[in-house]
Amino acid sequence: MTDSTSWHELFANLPIFKDAIITGGLAGALLGFIGVHVVLRRMVFASSAIAQAAALGVALSFWVPIVVDPIRHAAGHQAGSDVHLVSSLLFEPVLWAIGASLLATLVFIANPVRLHLTRESLLGFVFLVSGAGAVIVGDRITQEAHDLSAILFGSAVVVQPADLMLVSAATVVLLFGHLLCWRALIFVGYDPTGARVQELPVRRLNAFLFLSIGIAVALATRALGALPVFAFSVLPAMAALAITSRMSVVFALATLFGALSGVAGYAISFRGELPVGATQTALAAAFVGAAILGRFLVRMLRRREG
Amino acid sequence: MAHAIDNAPAHAIDNAPAHAIDNAPAHAIDNAPLLRFEDLRVGYDRRSILPPITAAIAPGELWAVIGPNGAGKSTFVRTLLGLQPPVAGRVERAPGLRMSYVPQQSALDTIFPISVNEFVLMGRQKPGRFRGLPSRVDRDAARAALEEVDAADLARRQLRDLSGGQRQRVLIARAIASRAALFVLDEPTSALDISAEQQVMELIGALRARHDAAVVMVTHLVEDGLERADRALLLDRDHEVALAATASELRAHPAFAHLYGRALARAEVTP
Repeated sequence: MTDSTSWHELFANLPIFKDAIITGGLAGALLGFIGVHVVLRRMVFASSAIAQAAALGVALSFWVPIVVDPIRHAAGHQAGSDVHLVSSLLFEPVLWAIGASLLATLVFIANPVRLHLTRESLLGFVFLVSGAGAVIVGDRITQEAHDLSAILFGSAVVVQPADLMLVSAATVVLLFGHLLCWRALIFVGYDPTGARVQELPVRRLNAFLFLSIGIAVALATRALGALPVFAFSVLPAMAALAITSRMSVVFALATLFGALSGVAGYAISFRGELPVGATQTALAAAFVGAAILGRFLVRMLRRREG
Repeated sequence: MAHAIDNAPAHAIDNAPAHAIDNAPAHAIDNAPLLRFEDLRVGYDRRSILPPITAAIAPGELWAVIGPNGAGKSTFVRTLLGLQPPVAGRVERAPGLRMSYVPQQSALDTIFPISVNEFVLMGRQKPGRFRGLPSRVDRDAARAALEEVDAADLARRQLRDLSGGQRQRVLIARAIASRAALFVLDEPTSALDISAEQQVMELIGALRARHDAAVVMVTHLVEDGLERADRALLLDRDHEVALAATASELRAHPAFAHLYGRALARAEVTP
C-alpha cells in the first residue's frame, strides 16, 4: 500500500471524491430499499436487465449523433470539446438511459401470459438484447468507449454534479413514494389475487414499482455503472432477509447495507486501488456472506442451548 | 333464465351443453342476493369452457364449488371475483358488496417474512386506497379477528412458520378483519389433518352465523363439499356440466350419478 492511497489521502481529497461517495451512498440506499421488493417478488434479474437497457441507452446517446451528424461530431472532437458532441438536450445520455430503462420496464408491466411467455423469459430477452446492443454499439464508437466501459462495468471514479443532483432527487421522491405505499406494495406482492379482490389499485401499484425501479436503475447506472447498480438492488436485500424476519427491519437494514456498500465500497476501492463498482459489489456481497454466517451461528448456538 | 332442477333434462350429459340449475331459496328473493349469475359463461380468449350458469348467492349461504381437478373451478371463481371477464352472460353484485378471498396456503410465497399480525392487517386495507399506516381501529379489528379464530397468541409469529391448521385459521382471520359480506375460500381443507379440518369447518360455520356472511368454498372433494354446503355448484369441463342445486337435488340428478357413480349419488346428506 503506497502513501498515495492512504485514508488520510482520501480525506484530503474529499472535495474531489465526495460527489461520487454521496452518489454511491444514495443510490445504494434507494436501490437497497426497492431491492427488497425485487428479491421478494423473485425478479432479481429485472434490475440487471433494466441496467443493461440503461447502458444501451447511454451507448446509443453516443452513437446516434455520429450517425445523425458525423461532420459536427468529428469537428467537436478535434476541438477537444468534452461536452457532448451534438450539444443538444436530445442526446443527453441520462435521458437515453431513462428512456431505454422505461422501455424495458414496459416489457415487465405487460402481461406475459397473453404472449404465452413467462416474465422471466422476457427479462432474459431484454437483458440479452440490451447486452448485445451495448457491445455492438460500443464497437461503433471510439472516443466515448472509455465512458461506455465505465458505465457497463462501474469503473467510474468521478461522478458529474448533474448525476449527483438527479440521484439525490430520485432518492427523495421515490423513497417518499415507496414509504407511502409500503403496506399496499407488500400486500400486492405477497397476495396479488387477494389484493385485487379487496379492490386495491394493483396495476397502478405495480406500475409505480416498476417505474421506480426503471428510473432508479437508469439514473444510478448512468452515474455508477451497471454492475454496482445490479448489486445494490439485490445483495443488500438478501443480507437483510437473512438476518431478520421483521418486514420493517428488512427494509431498514437493506437501505443501510445499500448505503454502506456505496460509501464504504468507494473508500475501500480508493484505499486498495481497486475498481470502484466491483469493490462496491464485493462489499455488498460480503454483507450477504456475513449475514448468512451470522444466521448459521445463531441457529447453532440456539440448538446447543435448547 | 333459471331452471328448477326437477325441470332439468335428465340427459344433461348426453345432450351437451348441460343446463345450469338455479334453485335459489325463497329467502334469497326476499333477502336480496349478494351475487347473481345470469347465463354466465366462463372461459378464456372468448371461448367458453363450461355451460351457462344461472344462480344466486344469498347472505348466510354456504356454497361448495365442486368438481375434479381441471373442471373449471378456478376459472369460475376468478370470474365470480371479478378477476377476469365473463365470456358471456352477467355477474350482478349487490351494491357496495365487499368480498374477501382466502387463497390456498400453497399460493402464498414463504420467502416473504410476513407476521401473522401483518397478514391480518392486510384485510384492513381500504378499497382503492394504497397509502398510510394501520389505524388503531384497524389494529383492534385485527386483534379481534385473531381472537375469534383462537389465534391471538400467534400474532407475532411468522405466517410461514405455522402449522397448516394454524395458518388456515389466520387466513380466515384476515377475511374476518376485512368485514366482507362474501368469503371465497380456495380449497380451505386441503393438506390438513382431520382435526385441523374439523376446526376450519367449524370456523367457516361461525363465519356465517356470527357475520351473516355468504361463503363460497372451492373443493375438489365432491363428497366433502356436498356434506357441508347448503348448496353446491358442480362443474366438470370434460363432460360439459354446470349444475347448481342443493346437495340432495344434485345427488338425485342423473348427471351426478353418471359422473360420480351411484354409491356417491345415493349417500345420505349429513345435517
